[in-house]
Amino acid sequence: MPPKPGEVTSALARVPLFDGISEESMERLVAVTGELEFEADQFIVIQGQVGTGLYVILDGAARVVRGSDELARLGPNDFFGELSVIDQQPRNASVQAIEPTRCLALASWDLLDLLESDPKLALNLIRGLAARVRGQGELHRH
Amino acid sequence: MALSPQELVDTLAGLSLFADLSRPQLEQVAHKMTEESYPVGQRILRQGFTGTGFYVILDGEVVVKIDGDERARLQKGDFFGEMSILLGEPPVADVVTTRQLHVLHLGGPELEGFLRDHPPVMYRMLKTVALRLRNASRLRS
Repeated sequence: MPPKPGEVTSALARVPLFDGISEESMERLVAVTGELEFEADQFIVIQGQVGTGLYVILDGAARVVRGSDELARLGPNDFFGELSVIDQQPRNASVQAIEPTRCLALASWDLLDLLESDPKLALNLIRGLAARVRGQGELHRH
Repeated sequence: MALSPQELVDTLAGLSLFADLSRPQLEQVAHKMTEESYPVGQRILRQGFTGTGFYVILDGEVVVKIDGDERARLQKGDFFGEMSILLGEPPVADVVTTRQLHVLHLGGPELEGFLRDHPPVMYRMLKTVALRLRNASRLRS
């Protein structure tokens, strides 16, 4: 069953990644965003495969796994897949549903179109990534 | 050693950050940013302190240090300072020249407008930050 536009908008609006984008680009984002459902233990993305999408978890929970290591847990409003979408590299980790999980999915080509036409969206992406680079640096130090 | 406007635009055209810009756009960049030179051993960004800028290296080399430990060396075409500006936080690293350094400098408050005016530069920067995060994740694992 496809998600309602209102549900997609409010889910995307809660994601820091999409904070402050124009109404017009939010509408375009909503128009090209789909919904996918995953069972417990099902892989949402697989390490090594070329990334073709950005995912936002609507509800449920997932683990980020590289090899046999669990790197992080994700829940509602968390997003992943943006690195592969930006640099077209193979995914550097797998994401596996822990429980039944609903995700919004945005295809890389649609996201790149939006980035080109919406500098504010691109700035927000850079800020989000920069903050995470800093977070990694702090883990290094402690 | 300031470059002529023509030489500066030629130099910018060879840097990957500006690779997607047309000649008139490169001239705008050259006009907007200020050329600066620093001697060896000069600290350009200071860990934990405010007062920052965005720098693109035209020639020379800097070392990036966190708590005194060397983390990276940056050379021609590399850039630094954008993280603090975009996050509105003090630098988390010292950036110190290891060779005579020739840079283009943009004041912190101007960076966002500059990037909005030049989406291809922003997209290149986005790729670089994504790559940094990838490398940081790899180091951690």
